[in-house]
Amino acid sequence: MLGNVFVKSLRDQRKALLGWSIGILALVALEGALWPSIKRMPALNELLASYPEPLRKLLRLEDFASGTGFMNAELFSAMLPILFIALGIGRGARAIAGEEEAGTLEVLLVTPVSAARLVLHQAAALAATALALGFVLYGAMLAASAVFGLGIGVADLAGATLAMVLLGVEFGWFALALGAVTGRRAVAVAGTSSVAVAAYVLYAAGELVDAVRPWQPVSPFYQALHGGPLGAGVPVAYLWMVLAGAVVVGATLPIFDRRDIAAR
Amino acid sequence: MTAVIHASALSKSYHGRAALRGIDLDVPGGVIFGYLGPNGAGKTTTIRLLAGLLRPTGGRAEVCGFDTVRDRERAQRRIGYLPGEFVGYPDLTGEQYLRYLANLRGGVDPSVVRDLAGRLDLELTVRIGTLSHGNRQKIGIVQAFMHQPEVLLLDEPTSGLDPLVQREFLAMLREVRDQGRTAFLSSHVLYEVEAVADMVAILRRGQLVVVESVDKLKAQAMRRIDLTFEGQPPLAELQAATGVREARASGPAAHVMVEGSTAAMLRVAAPHGVAQIVTHEPDLEEIFMTYYGQGATDDAG
Repeated sequence: MLGNVFVKSLRDQRKALLGWSIGILALVALEGALWPSIKRMPALNELLASYPEPLRKLLRLEDFASGTGFMNAELFSAMLPILFIALGIGRGARAIAGEEEAGTLEVLLVTPVSAARLVLHQAAALAATALALGFVLYGAMLAASAVFGLGIGVADLAGATLAMVLLGVEFGWFALALGAVTGRRAVAVAGTSSVAVAAYVLYAAGELVDAVRPWQPVSPFYQALHGGPLGAGVPVAYLWMVLAGAVVVGATLPIFDRRDIAAR
Repeated sequence: MTAVIHASALSKSYHGRAALRGIDLDVPGGVIFGYLGPNGAGKTTTIRLLAGLLRPTGGRAEVCGFDTVRDRERAQRRIGYLPGEFVGYPDLTGEQYLRYLANLRGGVDPSVVRDLAGRLDLELTVRIGTLSHGNRQKIGIVQAFMHQPEVLLLDEPTSGLDPLVQREFLAMLREVRDQGRTAFLSSHVLYEVEAVADMVAILRRGQLVVVESVDKLKAQAMRRIDLTFEGQPPLAELQAATGVREARASGPAAHVMVEGSTAAMLRVAAPHGVAQIVTHEPDLEEIFMTYYGQGATDDAG
């Protein structure tokens, strides 16, 4: 029953969510299955020591010899953030700009549903989708930990999963906002991707270059990944991710409300 | 009667290019209003301004007394809108789509939806993506009509409809009018509007050239009259009569074009013994073409 925009938006994502879930399950299973053989590698520590210093710092290879550190380096530092952010950007760009380009937005707006409510419903649906994928990740990782003896704590995993979800939500909301302002999906995707890459570069550079380090906390990647994310608990910095996303969405509401809606 | 649709000095420019140049318009309640003009004249721009999807760059518009900018949501509650290019969600069936919009609107009677779909011969259980253009257009029409709005804004509503469905659609429009509601529809072909509209406006290059009731337009229209005389037609006298724009003779017959009243022409003709008289219905198409003028079909925007 499509009662409102939120429900409709969730329904639109069922298949995509299923696809993303299968991807996450496969990824976690694969990495988890690698762990027992990695752990038994006699020369593991020498191998890690042979990595260049900057790479060791960025991927936190010092902790590689524990299950938690292994998953931080293999999945939570790059692969999972990319997946969640890709989900968020794709969905966010489609939410308003995609509908506008398809031509379905016009009729939707000439209803008692206000422009602002439409954006908020879409933002909520995006967050719910990212959260749903977060539950899949949590379940998969918990199972993998038990099966392959990764020894990842329940609370640690919850904090790290939340970091992934929040990265997806923040950049997803950014794409949603950019799409609502420009009405163009390609602009929303490209613009947000650029911001995400810039944020990652800032984070990575901060790990390696002393001069950049003071700026590092501005990056959502720092907020999400610093000190873990597995094992970092639930840092207060997570709040910044929600806040920044909410501010960007909030700022676009009056702009979207006042701009012309494109005809197909 | 107060106007249900009101526009004063309504203007819209896109990036400095004027699409609508100061329109003044009052559409009373309970009429079918035909909005005519060639492609690119500004019909779609007007309708989208009235629907609250565009913001005027000058002037203002009201629907049911509500400003389309300041009171947009309240105005939109009273509107049923069919875009010039209607698009539904291709992965939903007609029924799912219409129920979704009905939920967003609230207060839609499901039996009205069923009735409308039945009249237009619309299959509701099929995905919109698999429907033909005409059948998608029917879904657009149903969503515009289903909440029985006070004002219908319909941009080229009959595009893609076959003649039988078109006739049913015109009947639906008349019912809307008979219930005291208002239908504002754009078209670039006159005959479909002529059959159903009470009033028409003709738009050319972003400006209104005429707003008039169809009856009055017809009264003004040139009427072709063929007179067959018992003797030679009095051609010179006919040409001189008031209202006669053109007179030609061929044998005993005279072909006369009269604008407005035919009284003066008939007074002149009668003494010469009129054996037969045939008058042709005035054709709005001719007026339409006059107002369109030459070279009015700029296809921009």
